Amino acid sequence: MLGKLMKYEWQATWKLLLPANLLIVVMTFFACMAIRLNFGEIKNDGIVFGAVMILVTYVGSMFVVMIGTAIYLIYRFYTSTYGDQGYLLHTLPVDKHHIVIAKVTVSTAWVLFSSFLMYLSILFIFASEKGVIPELVDSMRLFTEEVGGRPSLFAGVMTVTAFVVSVLARVLKVTACLSLGQLSANHKLLMSFAYYFGIYFLQQMLGTFYYIFLAVINRRLDTYYYGQTWEVTLLTGLVYTVVFYMVTWYTMEKQLNLD
Amino acid sequence: MTPIVQCIGLTRTYGRKIALNQIHLNLEPGRIIGLLGPNGSGKTTLIKIMNGLLNPTSGDILIGGVRPGVDTKSRISYLPERTYLYPGMRVEEMVRYFQDFYPDFRMDRAYDMLSRLQIEPRERLKNLSKGTKEKVQLILVMSRDADLYILDEPIAGVDPASRDYILHTIVQNYNRNATILLSTHLIADVENILDEVVMIRYGNIILQAGAEQIRRHEGKSIDRFFREVFAC
Repeated sequence: MLGKLMKYEWQATWKLLLPANLLIVVMTFFACMAIRLNFGEIKNDGIVFGAVMILVTYVGSMFVVMIGTAIYLIYRFYTSTYGDQGYLLHTLPVDKHHIVIAKVTVSTAWVLFSSFLMYLSILFIFASEKGVIPELVDSMRLFTEEVGGRPSLFAGVMTVTAFVVSVLARVLKVTACLSLGQLSANHKLLMSFAYYFGIYFLQQMLGTFYYIFLAVINRRLDTYYYGQTWEVTLLTGLVYTVVFYMVTWYTMEKQLNLD
Repeated sequence: MTPIVQCIGLTRTYGRKIALNQIHLNLEPGRIIGLLGPNGSGKTTLIKIMNGLLNPTSGDILIGGVRPGVDTKSRISYLPERTYLYPGMRVEEMVRYFQDFYPDFRMDRAYDMLSRLQIEPRERLKNLSKGTKEKVQLILVMSRDADLYILDEPIAGVDPASRDYILHTIVQNYNRNATILLSTHLIADVENILDEVVMIRYGNIILQAGAEQIRRHEGKSIDRFFREVFAC
């Protein structure tokens, strides 16, 4: 049944999210063209204005796609799980674990896909300017060495893994907050926001304590950068993933409260 | 014979409000049962608990001898009072969705009913009227060979001309060994098809009796009797 749930989740989301992500590709192409223009030599103001507008639209479209994807996925999860369509979803003969896994996997995949396209897009924009990419690589190497790491394939793979897990944890945080919010008799969405900010605040507090702890242990103050290793990101990501998954599953299984 | 539904001291509260109060109820298989009561009497809460959409505060509920879960959901065909179909999907996609998830779904039966009601399978659900969406929902629910059909206000949103057809559809298409639990306040429309009546008020079962027995004993229709019992 998990496969079927995922199939329908893909079918419901790709119609909107695929064109939105294709917009990033199209805008990147035009932005690369615009950035390659030598503005000092162009006499026609119209061309300069058009190129600037393309760059502004490019930046704007990146924000719209990023925020739009997040809002759409939240809306989709809420309506299909705790809205009217929840009546169908929760009366299907499927395990609640499968429901959570299907929804979270598809949402995480879309967030990762959008993020990947955006990173790639920014890389193409940088590549349009000569000498920027080598400078960027040098800066990253210097930063890695500064925080005590050594650039390696293993560290690279683990950094990407840590990023994937942190995205998964963030998606699950949203599903956990929406699940907790639906427990309220009234203002379910408002309560979901309240849970989100409450948990966010708690996470920030825990992070601050962690950096203070590192500062005391290592007797240095630049622990924010020092503490940002893939090991820490991966470990915290895994802990949050398990906690938020359990909250989402438990409220769906034991505390469902459809109006 | 094991009852298809057993409620044992079933209680559900919302804060201080008691929606269901220590309900004891057994429903036997092979009957068409009317769950009757005014608004806010606890009908929908009871139905949601049967379907695993709400958990009881205390007491127990068994569907075919087991608590609500994956197994009972494969045996219950539920029509809620609201539209739960995905608006972006076409009618035929929704039919495939039901076939994918319910092994007892009969596609031929669904297409036969769609054609009788002149509903175009290629039509998107968001383009259909509220009444037509309800008909599609009912067709999907009645196209299953379930053990228990739970229909919450199945005729409330459709025009009077279609009600007879829908009731006919229900009676013609359900599995004969199954039970139909039909919640409605449009009693006059449904009373002829009922075998049994359960009346509920303020979260308490006040009557469970055969439809014919009520008519004979009270000397009036169930609709008339209901109006007298629940007169404001």
